Amino acid sequence: MATNSRFLPMSAAVEMHKTEDQKSNTQTRKSKDFYELTIEPLDVGAIARRIVPETCGATVTLDGYVRQFTKTRETLYLEYEGYEPMALKEMEKLIGQARGQFEIASVGIVHRLGKLEIGETSVVISVAAPHRRHAFEACEWLIKELKRTVPIWKKEVYADGEVWVEGESSK
Amino acid sequence: MKVQVLFFGATADATGKREIEIDLAEETKAENVFRRIVRDFPQLETHSLLFAVNLEYASGEEIIRNGDELAVFTHVSGG
Repeated sequence: MATNSRFLPMSAAVEMHKTEDQKSNTQTRKSKDFYELTIEPLDVGAIARRIVPETCGATVTLDGYVRQFTKTRETLYLEYEGYEPMALKEMEKLIGQARGQFEIASVGIVHRLGKLEIGETSVVISVAAPHRRHAFEACEWLIKELKRTVPIWKKEVYADGEVWVEGESSK
Repeated sequence: MKVQVLFFGATADATGKREIEIDLAEETKAENVFRRIVRDFPQLETHSLLFAVNLEYASGEEIIRNGDELAVFTHVSGG
């Protein structure tokens, strides 16, 4: 799809991540945190297994995917668009805040952009913690905050039209 | 001095543009620039808007300088 050329390939997103990482080297040196944007399909299991610290006993992973029916209206597919450099910055901030609030060891967030079919994964958030309760709490907090602050938008395409979903005015 | 303004999703559709350049006579508060953008594109008024300056959410108090990157968009809906 032509519009996809606007989006960063995975390698570019990873590069950015590395650059950000180097800036805050002391904070992230020992963690396996990552945050990325990609137009490629997401492999939930592979993403979750990227963070398995030896000191942890559980990783909680959210697999957010495209819903076919919102109440009775049928969605054909979705298109996600992001303000990519700002989205990566906000994702990095969320991870830092989550680390401050919860006893967790590692966080991975990957959000997909571009056209997504029904049932395809749009976002994966994995949180590893020494004890599962903290991982559940942090994962729930991270998805709630991501939906509120990370500049990504979805367009829902229906049989009879399309609409850019506008989030709630809580920012 | 020139600044770049980016639009995304609903604001890109409403303005028909993804990016514009604005000429400013002098450094000014962000809210003045945002007000000017909405005046130039009144179709934005039907949306609840958020603004960013240099990749950070903006309060409007920021001083806009030559080469800054601004963005105008609706409340986010990722996830």
